[in-house]
Amino acid sequence: MGKGKGQIHNHIRTLRFHRGEMTQTDLAGQVGVTRQTIIAIEQGKYSPSLEVAFRIALALGVSLEEVFWYESEDEGEKS
Amino acid sequence: MSMQQRNTVVSLVSFLLVLGYFCLKVFQMVQTTTFTALNVFQLWGVVIAAAIAITIVGTIGATILSAIVYAVRTREEPPDHEYVEDERDKMIALKGTRVAYIVSSLGVVIAMLAFVLDQPPLVMFTLLIGSGLVAQIVGDVYRLFRYRRGV
Repeated sequence: MGKGKGQIHNHIRTLRFHRGEMTQTDLAGQVGVTRQTIIAIEQGKYSPSLEVAFRIALALGVSLEEVFWYESEDEGEKS
Repeated sequence: MSMQQRNTVVSLVSFLLVLGYFCLKVFQMVQTTTFTALNVFQLWGVVIAAAIAITIVGTIGATILSAIVYAVRTREEPPDHEYVEDERDKMIALKGTRVAYIVSSLGVVIAMLAFVLDQPPLVMFTLLIGSGLVAQIVGDVYRLFRYRRGV
């Protein structure tokens, strides 16, 4: 496994759509963060803590792996 | 704009105003040869009191104004979680504080250099408070940059 830079990607936008067009404000309220933080996470500008990631998955009614995945830039590895 | 982001803007504007006032007064003192210990220490007091007062009043005013704008737009009260300082806000605040400390430390070094270069102690004290104000401004600018570009 490489030690190069990687990025956390997510399916939050799609999953919100599948939850009856849940708004960013509603999700923020359920997770306990601001709407701006949800926007930053969706856009990949902020990687949340494990606790917030679990709370997002819980609010969206899916497992953590269905919301987030990690991609290494060096090797194109996905996990 | 989140509550913390708004507060950072208020802090930035407040400290820019205070720094402007500080520079103007120091310039006036130097021009009129009233650059004395009494005047400089009075200015210290005024600058610190003004920075605290303007920031508090500005923060309260901005919060009330944004709540009114939100209520007019949506005909609802702002949700409680918009007034929360979450983990992203805390991380950005810490990063901004670190940058402010670096600038402040540089200011202390420059102030010490003034001593080495045979400048009077008043110059050192003036550089110290000036660098403190600049450090706060640089920290706020860095925080806003992090809010825009991500953490």
